[in-house]
Amino acid sequence: MKAKRPIRILFRSFFSSGLRAKRTRVFILLALVPVLLMLAARIMEGVGSASARDVAGFFGHFMLSLYFQLLIPVLALFFGTSIVNEELDNKTLVYLTTVPVPRRAVLLGKYLAALLLAALLIVAGFLLCFLAASFTRLGDAAAWEELGLFLGTSLLALFCYSALFTALGAFMKKSILLGLFFVFGWESVVQYFPGVTQKFTIIHWIKSLLPIPPGQNSFLSFQLQPSPPLQSVLTLLAAGLLFLYIAVFIFERKEYILSDNA
Amino acid sequence: MTPVLKAEKLSKWYGNILGISDINLEIRSGITGLLGPNGAGKSTFLKIAAGQLKPKLGALTVFGEPVYGNPRLFRRIGFCPEHDSAYVEMSGRGFILLLARLHGFAGAEAAAKAEKALATVGLLDSQDRLIKGYSFGMRQRLRLASSILHEPELLMLDEPLRGVDPLWRIRIMQLIKDYGKLGRTVIVSSHILPEIEAMTNEIVLIHQGKIFAKGDIHRIRNLIDSHPHQVSIRTPHPRQLAARLIGNDFISGIEFASDHRGLTVRTNQRDQFFTHLMSLLAESGVETEEITSPDDNLQAVFDYLIGK
Repeated sequence: MKAKRPIRILFRSFFSSGLRAKRTRVFILLALVPVLLMLAARIMEGVGSASARDVAGFFGHFMLSLYFQLLIPVLALFFGTSIVNEELDNKTLVYLTTVPVPRRAVLLGKYLAALLLAALLIVAGFLLCFLAASFTRLGDAAAWEELGLFLGTSLLALFCYSALFTALGAFMKKSILLGLFFVFGWESVVQYFPGVTQKFTIIHWIKSLLPIPPGQNSFLSFQLQPSPPLQSVLTLLAAGLLFLYIAVFIFERKEYILSDNA
Repeated sequence: MTPVLKAEKLSKWYGNILGISDINLEIRSGITGLLGPNGAGKSTFLKIAAGQLKPKLGALTVFGEPVYGNPRLFRRIGFCPEHDSAYVEMSGRGFILLLARLHGFAGAEAAAKAEKALATVGLLDSQDRLIKGYSFGMRQRLRLASSILHEPELLMLDEPLRGVDPLWRIRIMQLIKDYGKLGRTVIVSSHILPEIEAMTNEIVLIHQGKIFAKGDIHRIRNLIDSHPHQVSIRTPHPRQLAARLIGNDFISGIEFASDHRGLTVRTNQRDQFFTHLMSLLAESGVETEEITSPDDNLQAVFDYLIGK
């Protein structure tokens, strides 16, 4: 069987079962946190406890950081590592590896399903958040352009992080801890290093795409020496494809032992 | 005739733990029972044969081709794993339909294959329920359905009767026998001799990772029957019972329990002993509470056969 058809079958099946999964419900709640925070900021503005400028600043400085430095990598981590790890934990991998389907199709079908689930959560949350932050300037074309840029960058970030964590999950069983170390250790620290070093993080290329004017008050622009946008897009795409290739390479060759064997 | 499955000097270990060692085996069409105590290496052998594990040394081929990393071969192979594993968020039908589609069946054909497999294992009525609501036995039957839905030429079943209720145990045994009669190849593992005996005469005895004996079950049975058995009898009158048993040739020894409420008899003629014991108990009226055979299990038989 060629790989395209099984990828489609697996994508549909795991996307629909993913929608029903308990984990997704937890992530829906997580994705709603920024929306609730944004609404709270709006209410404060309404009662006069905060100015419109404060609220705009809250969105630009805090909410974007929350999305790009926390929600996106964390969702990508849980969805990406679960692609293989969940099959190992539940001992279900055997069903997908005893059908006449290349292993790469199994991985890619499941990866696309996980990516779409994570993307829906992020896009829906982000859209609601943006609307709450910018409903006074909805007629402004620049606001929608900005939204398009944020969403495009979110999807690129998800693609790249998810591919990385899929490879990590294919490589080792307890991959969450290492993934958390990467997100909250490496990415959180090295992005602030001066010079070329910060380019060794994914977040550097993501931040380079965001329309944030450099300023001391922004988490996202602090110490950032942005790379050109086209270079950033190409780097994120290339890195994502490379991580995906590595994930497929590992998954096709690695022997997964599902239990204490008898 | 070319063997369906051929293992040559096949070995597999996990770190320092031995799975199987230096196995040479050819399996032809029909039903073959893979018999051995828990931890003997049956599952490891089947997992290698199902392409789930890589051999460490040696080779295993199915239909003349290596299995590991050869997904095309799975059109011809069905494998029912021993683990109680399932996609619990899917319905029984959704799970089987997914596998049918992955086997290359489309549309109505996939639905028909799924329905037939579910009907065979008696899960049609509960096909729309989520698997997380299934009992252990139902999940075991669902695993069986997943392995037979594409009607493979080689069917490998790892402990397929574990956790199945008595009625379905009989039905599954019949299903396996019928499958074998179609000229296909079935390899079925178990650690329970009577289960295998009920399905086939052709058995492979596996113990401590090695093939210990292979062939007709009657030959193995004869060995097992001459195995010196121990039978424990709980009775308030052990001395009275021992006095009536002691003169018989087929009894090689009697030991009394330390609590004076039982005895253990050793015999070389298990069947003859039991016939005699039953008639003796009926005639004498000696009261008994329990009769057990502590070594009437496969591990004891293996220990005897390998001369421990």
